[in-house]
Amino acid sequence: MNASVKPIDSISAAADAVVGRAEARFDAHRQEILRSTDRMFAGLLVAQWIFAIVLALTVSPYAWQGKVKTVHVHVWAAILLGGAITCVPVALALLRPGAVLTRHVIAASQMFWSALLIHLTGGRIETHFHVFGSLAFIAFYRDWPVLLTGTVVIAADHFMRGILWPESVYGIANPEWWRFLEHAGWVVFIVIFLVLSCLRSYRDMRVMAERGAELEALSENQWRNSSVVDRAAAESAARRG
Amino acid sequence: METHGQQTTVTRYDRVVVHDGAGKRRQLSRSEFEKLPLRERVTYLIGGTAEFFAGTEPVPATEAMKG
Repeated sequence: MNASVKPIDSISAAADAVVGRAEARFDAHRQEILRSTDRMFAGLLVAQWIFAIVLALTVSPYAWQGKVKTVHVHVWAAILLGGAITCVPVALALLRPGAVLTRHVIAASQMFWSALLIHLTGGRIETHFHVFGSLAFIAFYRDWPVLLTGTVVIAADHFMRGILWPESVYGIANPEWWRFLEHAGWVVFIVIFLVLSCLRSYRDMRVMAERGAELEALSENQWRNSSVVDRAAAESAARRG
Repeated sequence: METHGQQTTVTRYDRVVVHDGAGKRRQLSRSEFEKLPLRERVTYLIGGTAEFFAGTEPVPATEAMKG
């Protein structure tokens, strides 16, 4: 240590360094979670695309046209519309992983996938569960605003299709006007808990980073209080590995 | 820290006394200490100006940070 540096300045500088490293560790941890979730969605979106095409080729013509097997328009919807809502988020996940825009586009696309699968199955109520699974996956980001994007997209989809093409979303021609509110209400119900889970997880990550900083600060304190002989022995041991 | 075979117990501190640069002492509860900004906590730990207690028993800082 330079003799001209006052101890209090030296402690202050060391504290800044320790806090800076804690912030860097926290950011690196968070980025790793965001990037790995982007990669997971890239795989999931492609898998859903393949699944939707198979679904359209097998189930969907039956769902909409009885037992007559034809190359239904739903097959083209699965290939082309499915491709459109898959390519952009997958490209972003590969080219701009970890970016804010990437995860919001992925969340919206995942909800569009729920909408397309619901449509392909003729508004089957069981397919609506895909929405809840998707929200759980989106919560992997541990970033609650992404859940809001997903919620708004699926609520808007149900509202619009409920007015324009109710069979596509509810499987019946004349649902009550407020049916989308019932679906949106259940979505909001689960999103509340997922948001709380994201906030708790974010707080835990912060606590982990701070705990690391505290332990590093203690180590710094021990180093400062050790003798020159102790330091030389520690450095020698570190060099020997 | 006490070790009983495979089981390890860590003494949890419930009180902290911190000394600032002007020679003043402040007594904080555990939750008050944990709510201090990270930089302030780190400064106390690097400077060795925080004393940890479980009741009236002093707890070494290295042990306190584990519990």
